[in-house]
Amino acid sequence: MGFEQILFYFFAGVLLFAATMVITIRNPVKSALFLVLAFFNAAALWILLEAEFLAIVLVLVYVGAVMVLFLFVVMMLDINLVKLREGFGEYLPYGGLVAVLLVIELVVVLNSPQFGLGEMPDPVGQAADYSNTRELGRLLYTTYVYPFEIAALLLLVAIIAAITLTMRKRKDTRYQNPAQQMSVQAKDRLRVVKMPAERKG
Amino acid sequence: MLENYLPILIFIIVGVLVGVIPQVLGWFIAPQRPDSEKLSPFECGFEAFEDSRMKFDVRYYLVAILFIIFDLEIAFLFPWAVVLREIGMFGFVAMMLFLGILVIGFIYEWKKGALEWE
Repeated sequence: MGFEQILFYFFAGVLLFAATMVITIRNPVKSALFLVLAFFNAAALWILLEAEFLAIVLVLVYVGAVMVLFLFVVMMLDINLVKLREGFGEYLPYGGLVAVLLVIELVVVLNSPQFGLGEMPDPVGQAADYSNTRELGRLLYTTYVYPFEIAALLLLVAIIAAITLTMRKRKDTRYQNPAQQMSVQAKDRLRVVKMPAERKG
Repeated sequence: MLENYLPILIFIIVGVLVGVIPQVLGWFIAPQRPDSEKLSPFECGFEAFEDSRMKFDVRYYLVAILFIIFDLEIAFLFPWAVVLREIGMFGFVAMMLFLGILVIGFIYEWKKGALEWE
């Protein structure tokens, strides 16, 4: 067994362990952290497949941004952990049914003649100066330019949707407006009132 | 290609060990005499008066999600910058169109005041 194979089994083992912990651990924050570990190991597997750019993007986008958002939401939500643990038996038949169906589908797909090991030859190892990023760029901005522009539109939709869903002005906040503070005149603040002088006695 | 990543693997292993070894040493060497006061959560010298789960303003979420969108945009820029000489004018225009569409979103969020914190 070569060094690469040992690495593969190591990363795959940790990945499976982390993925199992995500769904079995009780604390949602810890579960999100295990998902981060799972993403890291998936990135390592992708590097073993020589898809270096995708691996780095996985770490950058999923671990760096999406998981931070997940953690953020999990920590922000006012979740009652005790309530979350209720009703496990109630959901078990439905969850089990979905799981069994998924396993059957996976077995059917993986046993099909199109998916055999003979149909999928091992990728040949690339030279040391091979750049996965370069290959990806060559295809992405020429052959797949239309899906690439659609990705821009999807991101635009995401910006607008996020703003419309969560933007609201709070009326009870107190804040300073420096421009207003600077342009204030003495007569705005101070009112001189003429009064008749009072006589003594 | 993979041999280029061996230094990174060694780096990661050393990094993990630097994090793990002090904790393991602390676990085995340091005296452990826990009591209920030591194990209780510490909050700046006074009694903890609130659960750690509480409602936050949704604006934190908005900032985070806007960050993710522009993070993805940056991810698209890397392979483009690598092959710009090969794909020529067509690739340049394609990326400018991509950035142009996202600038519309940027102007929208700027005008809408989503970047203001009040």
